[in-house]
Amino acid sequence: MTTKIRIRRVSKTYKTDGEEVRALEHTDLDVGEGEFVSIVGPSGCGKSTLLYIVGGFIPAQGDVLVDGNPIEGPGIDRGVVFQEYALFPWLTVRRNILYGLENRPLTAQQRAQAADRLIGVIGLEKFAHRYPRELSGGMKQRVALARTLACDPVVLLLDEPFGALDAQTREVMQDELLRIWLETRKTVLMVTHDVNEAVYLSNRICVMSARPGRIIEEFTVTLDRSAGREQVMLSEAFNKIRNDVWLAVRRQATAAAAQAETPQEGTPQEGTPYGSAAA
Amino acid sequence: MGPRLPDAAPWLRSGRATMRVLVPIILLLLLWQSLGSFHLVDTAFLPTPVLVARALGDLMTGHEIRDNILVTLLRAGVGLGLAIVTGIWLGIGIARWPVFRSFVSPLVGATYSLPKTALVPLLILWFGIGNTMAITAVYLSALLPVVVHTYHGVKATPSVLVWSAQALGSGRRELLWRIFLPHALPDIFTGIRIALGFSFVVALSAEMIASTAGIGRLIFMYGENGSYDYMFAAVASVVVVAFLADRALLALGASCLRWHDSALAVET
Repeated sequence: MTTKIRIRRVSKTYKTDGEEVRALEHTDLDVGEGEFVSIVGPSGCGKSTLLYIVGGFIPAQGDVLVDGNPIEGPGIDRGVVFQEYALFPWLTVRRNILYGLENRPLTAQQRAQAADRLIGVIGLEKFAHRYPRELSGGMKQRVALARTLACDPVVLLLDEPFGALDAQTREVMQDELLRIWLETRKTVLMVTHDVNEAVYLSNRICVMSARPGRIIEEFTVTLDRSAGREQVMLSEAFNKIRNDVWLAVRRQATAAAAQAETPQEGTPQEGTPYGSAAA
Repeated sequence: MGPRLPDAAPWLRSGRATMRVLVPIILLLLLWQSLGSFHLVDTAFLPTPVLVARALGDLMTGHEIRDNILVTLLRAGVGLGLAIVTGIWLGIGIARWPVFRSFVSPLVGATYSLPKTALVPLLILWFGIGNTMAITAVYLSALLPVVVHTYHGVKATPSVLVWSAQALGSGRRELLWRIFLPHALPDIFTGIRIALGFSFVVALSAEMIASTAGIGRLIFMYGENGSYDYMFAAVASVVVVAFLADRALLALGASCLRWHDSALAVET
């Protein structure tokens, strides 16, 4: 298995109110081609920061290589889906998806066909000409996923993609993501705080320590996903690994709580997805 | 018992809405009329609506109102248009270019609360009496609301939108045209609406201070001569024109911002 993403000794320090905070400390991680890797950890451990660094959105010390090339800022080789959907509110569903197709060497007709196909994949034919504000959360996240896939990225970076959805919609979306992943076999790096989600979807789960974050435990997941959600989630194997991961995260969360006299919530300032505007 | 009308008949609802707007206006006009009719106020100082309407009808038969309104509209329109075009770029520049911001911010901060009509004597000195002076005064007053609102709209663009566009292959120029500008558009419209109000105020004020034409001069002249019914008629014509301009802008905004959450609230 070739390595798609190579993260070496990545560190990140940011300043809030003149105070230096070490978000990441010498983090190492490799993600192989076609692998689905999840990062879990206590809140504020820097897992989203790590994802934004791989996305090229925020600078950091250390090396991040995608396909052996060091990253220089954001690029179409890395598709991103954010928890806040991040659809362009002034574009319709179809135009949002077309935005992702524009930088591919396609004719206008091919683009139109690809957009229609993706709209079909996410089942939003009836909403193709609606604006994002008219869609439910689940629909918005489907469009965001389709827009990212339209760009045909080498790797998918998912930042708590279903964190804003209700429990039922979240399960539907997880199954949809699983289906798309099984079809396309894209390399996926996902950040989540939902241990069930991580176990249900990933090949490998990395647990991050409390701040400064670094990967301290790894779990390999070998579940037969073709059996269907109930079979998988009720199985002995699923529960075993779920409990192990949950305990590992809990150890870090407890350590973080003990360590922090003053609670330091949130992500670095330049990494805060919604700077001044609310979602 | 008469035939029952469906509750939600659209024509009935729009009829009711029209009544809600018209009835208070009619009552206020009656009140105004009664002030004069019952000699509570001297009609020489506050002419009744009937007298004003008669004066308006008189003025409308000639070209006086029309010609002067056109002069004022031209001054307000050209000044506002220039302010919109340059204000949007200045706002974007301040939001996106820190060096530029450090130069322009103090200027904006210092002049923001200055009533631009205070500059009219200086502008007369520089440009003399006429269109250039009035247009410059309008431009200066309309510029800052556009700059400030554009700046806020661009500045408030969520990082995730910018990052998403970058990850989809957008470069700097594309970010500007397809992310920052559309995101700022609702704010830009708000700024333009404020600037529109300012531009009428300043165009009229400049004409009252020094001018040979324009509705402001006309109002001032009638006031000086004590023909208050004609003065009110001229004022009424300004009210109508300014109201129509604002409504036209609102309609344009509503059609451009259908995607925006406030699209339905724009009417208020």
